[in-house]
Amino acid sequence: MFANRKIVNIENEVLTAISVARKQQPLLNAMVSFTEVDEAIEHAKSSSGKMAGVPIVLKDNVLTKGVRTTGSVSILDNYIGAYDATITTKLKDAGAVIIGKSALDGLGMGGTGTNCHTGFVHNPYDVNRMAGGSSAGSAALVASGAVSFAIGSDTGDSVRKPASFVGIVGVKPTYGRISRYGIIPYASSLDHVGYFTRSVEDAALALEVLAGRDDRDMTSSFRIVEDYLANLNGNLSGKTIGVLGNVIDSIKNESTLKLFNDLVDKCKTAGATIKIVSMDPKRLQTCLPVYYIIANSEATANHSNLDGIRFGMQESGDTLEELMTNSRTKGFSFLLRKRFIIGSYSLADENQELLLRKAQKVRRLLVEDFKAALADVDVLIAPASGDVAPLLTDTSADQLSARYLIAENYMVLGNFSGYPSMTIPMGKINGLPMGINITAKPFEEQVMFDVAFGMENLTGCKNMTAEVTV
Amino acid sequence: MERISKKKVFKLAEQVMLKLSEEEADNIVAEFDTLLKQLDLLDQIDTTHVKEMIFPFEEPTSFFREDIVDHVCSVEDVLYNAPVEEQGYFVIPKVVKD
Repeated sequence: MFANRKIVNIENEVLTAISVARKQQPLLNAMVSFTEVDEAIEHAKSSSGKMAGVPIVLKDNVLTKGVRTTGSVSILDNYIGAYDATITTKLKDAGAVIIGKSALDGLGMGGTGTNCHTGFVHNPYDVNRMAGGSSAGSAALVASGAVSFAIGSDTGDSVRKPASFVGIVGVKPTYGRISRYGIIPYASSLDHVGYFTRSVEDAALALEVLAGRDDRDMTSSFRIVEDYLANLNGNLSGKTIGVLGNVIDSIKNESTLKLFNDLVDKCKTAGATIKIVSMDPKRLQTCLPVYYIIANSEATANHSNLDGIRFGMQESGDTLEELMTNSRTKGFSFLLRKRFIIGSYSLADENQELLLRKAQKVRRLLVEDFKAALADVDVLIAPASGDVAPLLTDTSADQLSARYLIAENYMVLGNFSGYPSMTIPMGKINGLPMGINITAKPFEEQVMFDVAFGMENLTGCKNMTAEVTV
Repeated sequence: MERISKKKVFKLAEQVMLKLSEEEADNIVAEFDTLLKQLDLLDQIDTTHVKEMIFPFEEPTSFFREDIVDHVCSVEDVLYNAPVEEQGYFVIPKVVKD
């Protein structure tokens, strides 16, 4: 934990973090690169910032001036950041020491950690299992104990799902709360900067460092940044907690339901009022296709600039078109090319009304339902996943089942709506962690942290780290 | 919605400047079958008189700023990543025929 900590020896802490991450690399494959830290250590020694001397990791889609930033795609394999992302600057100013960049599903497009340019990322609790994605490396490194903070990004559930699979805290604040300037985009209307910690207190403090208006990201909010840590209050008495009934109904795993229901009972005993709320089930089943259409359309447009001309890897070609086509074909994995083709399909003139506009309209209806579900409660909760982290070899999900369409994909509602949403661990099933997701109304991060803090006190799942073994 | 042909998949790939092998195109055709079933779920939702939602919030966050130079990347930093650069310019294959 770094909130309220007493710093002993910054250099020692940072070098230990690097040593642990290096030692774990053959097992987890979570790092893409390590960075020079001498200058940052010196800066941290004289810093009175909120994260002075805290060794941290950035997802490798966050720009760092003079440091390789690959986005986990071949076409950017040699890309050196020309400037710092706003959050890179904020973290440096707060005294944090960036020890390296972590692996992700290419360009953030994936939910497993198995589509990284650098190979599979492994779950620290069981290396034969997925860490979840797309922020796989960051999640694995916080869970393994290498670092206590790492940056991720969340377009569908890319922070909150891996947090569940590896037993840590994963936060996606309100859309516009954290600047996205200098983040390699995926889908602009859904992209959020998120992050991982091992305690709610650290999560509250980290948002104070990261949040705030930035004129370089014109979607960032002017609203004031609160003293989330100082105001943190885990008293659940008087809180009204909504349980998203549709998600519970779609989960078949009894162990998941027992873990969840036990925590709900404890919340009740602690004085919270529990309300079961439901959304229109027919609409809720469309979360995944709506996400697929919007996200892939926006990604296809955003990444049209990856052409091998101004930066990145270039393949030869006799004409400009041939050069660009060859560079893009070699520069993107098959999964990414497939996503761009789905985007191309949705963006085609004849499909725009039928698919993209339709998806954007259904997005509005889903957000209206979600808003109504939250109207009379402080937060909405549900298990962050139906099951524990899948095996790396598991591709058996029935993509048309309610379990898959709802339990495994409902958290995208946080991206459609922009509402703040986070995952904390709620316990373990056969030694593997399982998370609970908590969503609050827009810009009510304090309420979300308060409920999370109260639940963390009830579960005792705080500062959990995995023992990394083969 | 109608099944997507392999020919259509190649055409879509071409439009976003990508190439596919025959095997990859087959895989995408199969994936589209699942996707189209999921899209059928979308068709069942009545969206009459519903306005598209493009971004989460309508609270204004953008404005025209003063035209003052701010946050400049040097030419050296920008060109550092260029695969081929000559005299401060990006180099591309000749586009105007002789």
